[in-house]
Amino acid sequence: MSASSPPNWQPQIDIVPFHLENGLTLLVLPDHYAPVVSFQLHYLVGSRYELPGITGISHLFEHLMFRGTEEVGPEEFSRILQARGGEINAFTTKDHTSYFENLPAAHLELAVRLEADRLKNLKLDEENFQTERQVVISERKLRSVDSPFGLVEEQLYATAYTQHPYNWPIIGWDQDLHRLTLADCRSYYRTHYHPGNMIAVVAGDAAPEAARDLIDRYFGDIPNPGPPEVSQIVEPPQRGERRAIFKKVSQVEAFFAGFHVVGLNHPDIYPLTLLAAILSVGKSSRFYQEFVRSGRAAEMEADLAPPPWSSQDPDLMVIRAVAAPGNPLAELEADVWTALEVIKREGIRAEELARAKKLMKSQAVQALAKNFYRGLVVGLFHLKTGDGAKANLMLKNYEAVTPDDIQRVAQTYLTEDNRTVVILKPVSPAESQALGPLV
Amino acid sequence: MTNYLPEIEQVTLPNGLTLLGLFYSRVPWVSMSFMNKRGGECDPPGKAGVADWTAEFLTLGTIRRSQRQLAEDIESLGANLQARGEWDATMVHLDGLSEDFAALIATLGEIVQTPRLAEDEFPMLKERRRAELAQIMDEPREVASRRFQRLFFQGAPYGHALRGEMESLASLDLGDIQAFYHKEFSPRAATLVVVGMLPFSQILEEAQKVWTGWTASGPASPPYTEAPRQSCPPGIYLLDRPELTQSEIRMGFLGLPRSHPDFFTLRLVNYVLGGGGFSSRLMTRIRSELGLTYGIRSQFFFRRAPGLFQVSTFTPAVHTAKVVEEIKAVIQNIRDNGVTAQELQEAQSYYTGHFPLSLETPRALCRQVLTIDLHDLGLDYLKLYCDRILGVTQEAAREAAHHHLKPENLVTLVVGPASQCRESLEKLGPVEILEDS
Repeated sequence: MSASSPPNWQPQIDIVPFHLENGLTLLVLPDHYAPVVSFQLHYLVGSRYELPGITGISHLFEHLMFRGTEEVGPEEFSRILQARGGEINAFTTKDHTSYFENLPAAHLELAVRLEADRLKNLKLDEENFQTERQVVISERKLRSVDSPFGLVEEQLYATAYTQHPYNWPIIGWDQDLHRLTLADCRSYYRTHYHPGNMIAVVAGDAAPEAARDLIDRYFGDIPNPGPPEVSQIVEPPQRGERRAIFKKVSQVEAFFAGFHVVGLNHPDIYPLTLLAAILSVGKSSRFYQEFVRSGRAAEMEADLAPPPWSSQDPDLMVIRAVAAPGNPLAELEADVWTALEVIKREGIRAEELARAKKLMKSQAVQALAKNFYRGLVVGLFHLKTGDGAKANLMLKNYEAVTPDDIQRVAQTYLTEDNRTVVILKPVSPAESQALGPLV
Repeated sequence: MTNYLPEIEQVTLPNGLTLLGLFYSRVPWVSMSFMNKRGGECDPPGKAGVADWTAEFLTLGTIRRSQRQLAEDIESLGANLQARGEWDATMVHLDGLSEDFAALIATLGEIVQTPRLAEDEFPMLKERRRAELAQIMDEPREVASRRFQRLFFQGAPYGHALRGEMESLASLDLGDIQAFYHKEFSPRAATLVVVGMLPFSQILEEAQKVWTGWTASGPASPPYTEAPRQSCPPGIYLLDRPELTQSEIRMGFLGLPRSHPDFFTLRLVNYVLGGGGFSSRLMTRIRSELGLTYGIRSQFFFRRAPGLFQVSTFTPAVHTAKVVEEIKAVIQNIRDNGVTAQELQEAQSYYTGHFPLSLETPRALCRQVLTIDLHDLGLDYLKLYCDRILGVTQEAAREAAHHHLKPENLVTLVVGPASQCRESLEKLGPVEILEDS
């Protein structure tokens, strides 16, 4: 074993693909470092597949998947696997819903059996539905309503997207959560939860052929009714800045700005990710040095989910700026736009780009230390682009980016006409109540 | 089970600094931590946050390099520097690619041994902290957790927020930071942990170059190990936040120090009570059966001195009293009846099965080694861990639950809209209204 790695290190995840007869794709990523394995199911269903009136159903349905089957009682799924040392959870995004079990390799079969059971035999009854709806309503209050900026971010997406489903939050609108029915959920289950609309990943201490046999044994007989009908909606280009004000009780003023950019499949995702890192990752970044270090901004971040977490359709690069008390927000906003203009006009320094690339390399190395992340990276690339092997090319894609690319994407996407800005304006509790209930 | 566990190597350098190293073969990474074993519990009275501010201050430039230069140099290696005050220790973590190890360990040494402690950085640090504290007021969970610590410990150590409090912000000055650094930072109270794709011979060689010459004035304060002389009387306390739609609930009583022999037993009991997610009784009752929250958990904060046992949750405000009542009943039941054989067995198999997952990354391993050193758990701790978990009997769990769970001592704090929850809470007992601070 060498004492240290060569500087040209690249990820080399071994990916063994299988295709079952019923259309299910399985990716096995063998790695025998420790006797543990990550089993993941990624369903191609997230909030973008919803329709107005049933927003939030993808996420609510994720909750219902833990409410049991004929064999297994509510939440027993988690209890049984946790009792074997497993980490069990699930998450819903705009584009997909993912379920995972990270556990000792000796218990992989149990996880596979239980996942297949809930895909085939989920118990969808009124009692489970009503309980879980209440839980999700509490979760919405936690994440959106009572959180400092949750409703501001919702307002940003609702203003920036006029036609595309990224308009609504993953957790759904409050009214829709109250309106949804058990029948909606049953129909959603039939349409989206089947072998033709998902992939399985086994990452860790497992032999590929044995993993294939295992998945085939439990999932092989599940019918595939064919892909769901999905309308491809394209958000029309934005033709001028949009601004909105959101008033709530707050100690701070803030603005959230979003610029329409690209999705995972567009090559510009790499320079845009590096641009976001140059702007705000680390204490040598431009935003930290100019705004945070001095105490003008309590927070200042340029956020764009990096590959493969990037959304499938064009997302927003979001600038979150929280003014420190006593610092006028309007001046802060003007200075942020000036900082972006400087990049568009003068470009960036070569060492800034080198730093951003090295940060990406570091993140990749750290992620690959966990089976869970190895599985996610490959699985999400496969799900969103059809090619999981892109995981091994990530660093090369970053390395190919030049300072000119950074300047070009800044000029192309960070324009005033392409910008939506939501201002958080603090009000007193009495003023807030006079504006009506927060939902 | 334990054959993949690497050996922990230990050397004490001539100046008293402990060096611990662990080989990690999976990816070319190194995680390093400098731990000075005095932390926020040593913050002077009325000066909340001194340990944590000192930690951050170390990262704001050295005698040789300015804040900006240091940040640029570290980040151009793709490395990540974090420093914070914790209870019982102050930490500086530096993680990066193992190809850069020599530069990284030299940088860590420079940060700890020759900080600039510059006058011009201090007002900026203070402004950043002021802004952060203002923002925290908008985060109900944070408000509740901070207020609960303060309410419970009543001015004793562990009774303030590690990152500081708005009330004491004005009184902190650069002299406090300098004094804390010069008094508490000392090789005899410190440990360096290195986990990475590096042979120990290389770790030792570089560590000797960088760390052997470090001396400090000290001596550090004696370690804080006592229980607080006074804590908050049991009862229900309400902080009115009319703008909220949910109540944040914190309930707790005084727990035990990390050195207590019932540590493993209580860990298992707490898994069943509220530490085991969906396997726990609190989650089963409050979320799965009643649908009254999205999340609930309980935990013992095991520190050098006794920390809190705490239950945390939130619920739509109208359900507050119901949830408080149900939590108390769940604790009472385990106190009276212990846990079932199946519950204990599942908790044991969770911890033993999960053990390799908790050692997957260099940072996770580093964290384990730091804990072992901080609490003198022995270099064979990881090897014996599973046996200790499996050695707990149902009778021991019953006794520990009976002895250490104290529902009659519960201090309950609710942060939420009083108009929607006060009346029903008063049916459970007297409610003391807290002043906003």
